Parts: sequence; C-alpha cells; structure tokens
Amino acid sequence: MENILEIKNLCKKYDNFELKNITFDLPKGMIMGFIGENGAGKTTTIKAILDIIKYNGEIKIFGLDNHKNDKKIKEDIGVVLDDMFFPEILTPNDINDTMKGIYENWDSKMFYDYLNEFSLLPNKQIKTFSKGMRKKLEIASALSHHPKLLILDEPTSGLDPVARSEVIQIFQSFIEKDDCSILLSSHITTDLEHIADYITFINNGEIVLSKTTSELLDKYGIVKCSESEFKKIDKKDYIKYKKSKYEYEVLIENKKDFKSKYNISIIDKITLDDLMVLMIKGVE
Amino acid sequence: MIGFIKKDIAMIKSNFKLMGLLFIVYAVMGLLGEMDISFILPFLSIMIMISTFSYDNYNKWDAYSITLPNGRKNSVKAKYLATILMILIVSIITIILSFVISYVNTKTINYEQILVTMFGTIFGTLLVLTFMYPIIYKYGVEKARIGIFIIVFGLVVVGGFLLQYLDLSFIAKSLSFLEDYLIIILIGITIIMVYVSYIISQKIFSKKEF
Repeated sequence: MENILEIKNLCKKYDNFELKNITFDLPKGMIMGFIGENGAGKTTTIKAILDIIKYNGEIKIFGLDNHKNDKKIKEDIGVVLDDMFFPEILTPNDINDTMKGIYENWDSKMFYDYLNEFSLLPNKQIKTFSKGMRKKLEIASALSHHPKLLILDEPTSGLDPVARSEVIQIFQSFIEKDDCSILLSSHITTDLEHIADYITFINNGEIVLSKTTSELLDKYGIVKCSESEFKKIDKKDYIKYKKSKYEYEVLIENKKDFKSKYNISIIDKITLDDLMVLMIKGVE
Repeated sequence: MIGFIKKDIAMIKSNFKLMGLLFIVYAVMGLLGEMDISFILPFLSIMIMISTFSYDNYNKWDAYSITLPNGRKNSVKAKYLATILMILIVSIITIILSFVISYVNTKTINYEQILVTMFGTIFGTLLVLTFMYPIIYKYGVEKARIGIFIIVFGLVVVGGFLLQYLDLSFIAKSLSFLEDYLIIILIGITIIMVYVSYIISQKIFSKKEF
C-alpha cells in the first residue's frame, strides 16, 4: 500500500522532553488517530512533520523529503493546529483573499459554502467568534484547497460535545467527497474510535504502538480477575496490569489466545481510553 | 506570495481612517501656514506596520504561516514589501498634498524643498525598518521597541558628541564632489541596507522554531 506520510527515526531533544526515534507510516486514503496524554509528544511530532521545528530523522510526505519540497508538499496539506491561526482582527473575507493568493487550488466557492454551513458571517472579525466557531473557520480554511493530506492537532479540544460531534462529522463527510488521508491527534479518544482506520499511540516521546483500529479493538482486551488468578498468568501473556481495590485489570494483546490458555471468563472489550490509561499507568 | 501581502494589508485597514484624518489635519495646517508635519505621516505608517507583528505574535501566526506553501520565505518577504508599499503610498499622497498646499499658498510649487524633505523622511523610515525588523524577528516586537530606542538614543548621544568636540568639516569638504549625486547615492544606500536587512531577517526566520 502506498504511504502518504512516512516518518523514520524522528528525534528532537528539549531540556525537559525528548522525542525518541518516532517511526510510523500513514497509508494513502486512511485516517490515523494519533493519541497520547497531554505532553506525550503529539504536537512536537506534528510540528516536525510541518517543518515548524528542526529535528533529526527522515520525514517523507507524498514520497518527497519535507525539507526540500516545501511548496509542492504544502500545496496539498490542510492544517488545523491547536491555537495557531490567522490574527483575530481579520475576517473570513480577509482569509479568503489571503488564501487565494497563497494556494494554487484555493476554492473560494467551497470556502464560502463551508462558512454558510457553519453559520459563520464572512465580514465579522475572528475575535468576535466563539472557540467552536473559530475551530470551524480553521477547518474551513484547511479544507478549501482540496488537500490530499489533513494534519489536525487536537481539532476538537476545548469544544463542547455537540461542537465536537459536528467537527468529526465534517471530517467524515470530507473524506467521503475527496480521496484524502488524515493524521488526527487527540487526547479525546472516543472521537477516534469510530473514524480512525489506524491508531498510533505515543507516550513520553516514544511510539508505544501503531496498529489498525480494528486489530486493536478486536484483539486487545482487559482481563478482570482476582489476585490469585492474576498470579497464574504468565508475564509474557500480558502487556501491563493495574491493581484496583477489588480486582486486577490486565491488558492483553490477544483475547482468543488468552481464552484458550487460561480459564478466566471476564475479558472486556477494550476502549482507546482503557488502553491509554493502562499503558500509561499500568505496571509491566 | 501576494496572499501574504494581502493579509498584512488587511490587518492595517482599520488604521486607514486614522491616516485619512491625519492627511486632512496636515492639509489644513499646511493651508493655514502652521507647522509642517509631512514627515510624521510616513513614520506613522511604519509604526502601524510594526503593530502587525504584535497581532501575529498574539495568534501565533508565524508558526501557522510555516504550514502554508513557501510560508517561511514568503511571510518575511511580504512583511518587507507591504511595509515598503505602505511607506511609498503614504509618501506619494503626502508629496501630492504638499504640492497642492505649496501652490495654494504661494502660487508656485517648491518642488525641491518638498522632495528633499520627503526623500529624507522615506530614508528615515526605511532606516527604522532596516534596524528594527531583524531585531523583531530575532527577539520579538516588545524587545525590539526597547532596542530601537537604545539605538536611536545611542546615535544621538554619539552624534552629538562628535559634532560638539570634533571638527568634521573636512568630511563635508572631501565629500562635496558627491553633492550632485546625493539623491542617487541615498537611494542606492537605502536599497542596499533594506536588502541586507531583509536577508538577515530571512536567515533568522528560516532557523526559527515555534
């Protein structure tokens, strides 16, 4: 399968934080949920992909080195970043005028259609918009030049549940219309379970796993058992565990294999939230 | 590239009314024979342009601009071009107004005096751009304001000292043969210094991380 985004051994060092050998691929036409707690390295990775920060390692977008092909690559990328956008004294009309002079494929009709759909007035200054409205404007700007890759950093953070579901719907309908790939970072994992084809999980600057969502949700499970039952489980048969007041929660990689080996009946389906909590807080 | 310039112009359009008002004040004062404030207008235009850096900074536009095609290069280039464009437009309007005022007041147009004043003013504003923009790109607009104050203050003190205690007339004498070419030399120096300033800003911004 052709990869739209390839990251190999991406490293970036700060005084108090480090990205360590980040490696993952995003296949063409797929949506990847990029998850991890706040401060895990999602935004730093995205900044490296977009060349906002300097880094060591290799990043290829559309098969091209992202240092050497800035214009070509960025013509086909749509971006929504957390708290980075146009100055708020501008209006959506100004953004349309600006983008027309920046993107070769800028589609004014599409932009105004989105404004209309999102009930955003074209001549109002951005500073008069609520957080949800601003986010929708950022999304309209990101979508209106027919990008082949969308890079979205926490596009739903700070939004109420209604606005969040609206935003997710916008992405879904966009993918249906255009043949587009998406890298979507979020710490709100419920948003991703239904739309992401792949999940890449970053923790403390390292990629913990990168798999298809179906593989993750179908194969992985949480065993809930007593202490005596837990003691019978071989260390190599689980990833991490967490001890609560009454029971042990054990993260396993393959429900089927586990069932055939152990006589433990309670194996819950996993959610991305469970996975994150157990991977971060659990014990090996 | 045009898009980046349009964005900077759109940011200052709310100041156009103020500029219009100042043109009227200038015209009225000129017609009444009061003080000549023509030099203020181009200086105000560069101060307005500098204020756009604060807005950019507040909404983290610089980081966002890098995500756009050729963003690192074009956002700096656009800032310089928009500023130069703004200074030239304001200066041209001021020159035309000065011609009108001069004609109404004296029935003749004092071309030389008006043009010399405006060339000096344009040179001064571009001097501000030359020094200030690289400092803004390196340290941000707030620190740049303090920096430019120190530079101007330093120049005044050093200049004052030189003029008071040293006899510099020999420099004027030895350079007197250049008098006829003064305007051309001034334009040449201006273009070179603005270009060098642009290259420095571009270098600073190309290495910047957000």
